[in-house]
Amino acid sequence: MQSLRLVLILAVRSLLAHRAKSLIIGSLLFVGTFVVVLGNALLDSIEEVMRTTLTHSLAGDFQLQSKDAEDALALFGGGGLGTSDIGEIPHFEQVEAEIGKIDGVRYLVPMGVTNATVFGRNEIDRVLTELRDALRDGDTERVPRLVARARRIVVDLSKALDTAKAIADEESYRKNAEALTKVGDDAFWTAFEPGGDALSALDFLDSRVAPLASDGDLYYLRVFGTDPERFVEAFPRFEIKEGQMIPPGRPGFLFNHRTYEKLIKNRVARELDALVDEADDGNTIADDPLLQQRVRRLADQYRLVTFQLEPEDATALTSELKGLLGQDGTLEELVQAFLKVDDTNVRERTAWFYEHMGTRIALHVPKVGDSVTLRGFTQSGYLRAVEVPVWGTYDFEGLEDADISGASNLVDLVTFRELYGKMSDSAREELAGIRQEVGVKALSREDAEAALFGGGGDVEVAVADQGALDVDIGAVNVVGPFERTFPAEETRTGLVLDVAIVLEDPDREAALRPELERVADGLGLKVLDWKEASGTLGQMITVLRITLLTAVAIIFLVALIIVNNAMVMATMDRVPEIGTLRAIGTQRTTVLGLFLVETGVLGLVAGGVGGLAAVGVIVWLQSVGIPAPADELVLLFGGPRLFPTIGLNDIVFGLITITTVAVASTLYPATLAARVPPIVAMRGRE
Amino acid sequence: MPAIVEVRGAVKDYPLGKLKVRALEDVSLSIEKGEFTVIAGPSGSGKTTLLNLIGCVDVPTAGEVIVDGQATSRLSDRQLTKLRLHSIGFIFQSFNLVNVLDVYQNVELPLLLQGKLGAAERHQRVKALIERVGIGEHLHHRPNELSGGQRQRVAIARALVTRPALVLADEPTANLDSVTGASILDLMRELNEAEQTTFLFSTHDHAVMQRARRIVRMLDGKLAES
Repeated sequence: MQSLRLVLILAVRSLLAHRAKSLIIGSLLFVGTFVVVLGNALLDSIEEVMRTTLTHSLAGDFQLQSKDAEDALALFGGGGLGTSDIGEIPHFEQVEAEIGKIDGVRYLVPMGVTNATVFGRNEIDRVLTELRDALRDGDTERVPRLVARARRIVVDLSKALDTAKAIADEESYRKNAEALTKVGDDAFWTAFEPGGDALSALDFLDSRVAPLASDGDLYYLRVFGTDPERFVEAFPRFEIKEGQMIPPGRPGFLFNHRTYEKLIKNRVARELDALVDEADDGNTIADDPLLQQRVRRLADQYRLVTFQLEPEDATALTSELKGLLGQDGTLEELVQAFLKVDDTNVRERTAWFYEHMGTRIALHVPKVGDSVTLRGFTQSGYLRAVEVPVWGTYDFEGLEDADISGASNLVDLVTFRELYGKMSDSAREELAGIRQEVGVKALSREDAEAALFGGGGDVEVAVADQGALDVDIGAVNVVGPFERTFPAEETRTGLVLDVAIVLEDPDREAALRPELERVADGLGLKVLDWKEASGTLGQMITVLRITLLTAVAIIFLVALIIVNNAMVMATMDRVPEIGTLRAIGTQRTTVLGLFLVETGVLGLVAGGVGGLAAVGVIVWLQSVGIPAPADELVLLFGGPRLFPTIGLNDIVFGLITITTVAVASTLYPATLAARVPPIVAMRGRE
Repeated sequence: MPAIVEVRGAVKDYPLGKLKVRALEDVSLSIEKGEFTVIAGPSGSGKTTLLNLIGCVDVPTAGEVIVDGQATSRLSDRQLTKLRLHSIGFIFQSFNLVNVLDVYQNVELPLLLQGKLGAAERHQRVKALIERVGIGEHLHHRPNELSGGQRQRVAIARALVTRPALVLADEPTANLDSVTGASILDLMRELNEAEQTTFLFSTHDHAVMQRARRIVRMLDGKLAES
């Protein structure tokens, strides 16, 4: 005890006596601790924010996945759109019965994920489809209006063809020009007047003209199937932005709001929004060549407005644009001129766009209230198409601006199963009903060829397991997608791919895991925590931590070398002092301890100050927040700003680490010191 | 009188490259309690080597050195250190005080290393000894704030504070002016007489020799006269 006191006194006195050395080493240890504590606090804050965001939005505290799964669950995507085999859980009701019994489990949310594509039809297809419907229904009022729209599109296509002349091969150019000349003639359109051969004209437009228009957009979507009711209860960050939640017992689709706004929305509107955002960020079109390019491209997108206009809207808009722009011209020219925005008018033009054009065209195709056809490949390789109503859009609070959250669109579990390739009982019954009604007989794949070509009697269509809902069967009274229902319990039973577990108390995560694992194991399931289940996103925090640790390791390595060198030099300087101490009876171990305690004390003091500095910075950041510098970081930050917190554990960890490094770097010089023989105290005196 | 130090046929060789240099050749010497003895001789005569062996900071190549009843050549470094701490006090030519400690702490140091005395007793002994060597008013001064003579007085106090069987002083007056040197020697002599502390000096200072009760003369590593 007394020698410890002595060692402490000697250490502190030595530190004070060799101020320059102490200051250099101390600064190094200060910086080291500052970086470690600050870095760790930030990472812990990010992890905590991410945890809350993810567990409250999609992941839950845990996820259950089949043990037979070949790929790990990646709720927020593992990168790429390839379908991964995340396994199947055939009976959700079993999971609910067994896992639901465990004390502390609050919700079990059935889930499944698959990829699907959705078409945003191109305008001419849209108009021609409507025209066909109007002709079939004998809607004499609607037909002329649609014809007018079609003609406007055709005129524009002719212009586009001239531009494309340079790059088209002669033969196809000649044929296309021929077709366009034909439809450019008033005579062609008389076919749509009463008594004309409207259907032939329509076929010509469909087969020869429509292909000349650019394709409609094809959207790749990641689709989550779940029990909507349970989902809303379990995930408090979920919020409906437009429309409404999928009602219980109904099929339905919800666009992620960001997807809806950034992908599905009319490109003209999207580009104008983006230009306003850029202006808000202080970027001016005049100074930014990239923005100038965007404005030029925007003007080329005028068709996305003009093609959609009804004749009377086109007339009205033309005169309104003339008034606004103070110039004359066709609608197309005026819209182009309107879209050539600059820094002075981008905000007004955008507002004007929404007021005068946005109200006359569909801003989203498909939009809330439409029904969309989701197409996807089933597990067995069939192309599957399911028509489903779009009830609304949603987002996760705090993740509104995070691209990665746009990776999830929501669909009811029954629709999901159809898309995934497992038919629900009610769908199977419905299909059987339809088959019976139209006299279609199901054939197995193997027998289909024989049935079609090898004789036999059954030459009907081999629908096999097809989803049936998108089969256009005019004779059957198919219920519209918004009216379809299914028994609500179908979303609580049967096949799911994964199950989210939400705990009563998320802090019990570690405590509950063994029990969950035990029960899950019995069901052939494995348990993943939110981080493991989140795919690359969950690993991001680990990657960040490794990056920090690498940086810290480098700092520490440098510190180690510098401290070691400084202490070796200090030892050399202090050889006579050490010799004296040894001569008057100080043991080697005490000398060793003396040196170690010296840097240990320095480590604690400099580290303590460094830790306090880090606390100061965190407290300051807590009040101002760290803005997310890029949209990608919004998710990590759980919102546009991160308000970091610091825990005692961050400080203690930093302090222990730095002190350990300091002491470790003194081991060699301390050993050297301990080897100084007592005889040096007597040396060179004669 | 029992012998505090018993040197029997001590030999000490130092390696010098591939050669061996014999610094001490067959030295035998006995020092009894209460002696005030000087080892004298010119530079290179081996007096410091002998003092090193007796001070347990070195061990003989051959022969035996017995200090306070213990044969040093059979002791480990740890045991030698312990022997130095408990049985020997050192006074060095350059005082060798610990610069980062003040006067009081320097004197207290060996007691703290021993860890035998309680705080009160330790304080009393340190304080009394500092008064005794005449630097009571400099209790909390650092060594660099003191004169050479004052520093050597601190060194004496430090050497005596554990009440050792033997105090070794290696050229204790070499770095002092003659007046100061004389007063230091008077002090040691006083302590020797009052406390019966055994003193062993190495020196070629005549003033020291004059005060010695016994002079051991050395020449070329051998005892010339005892």
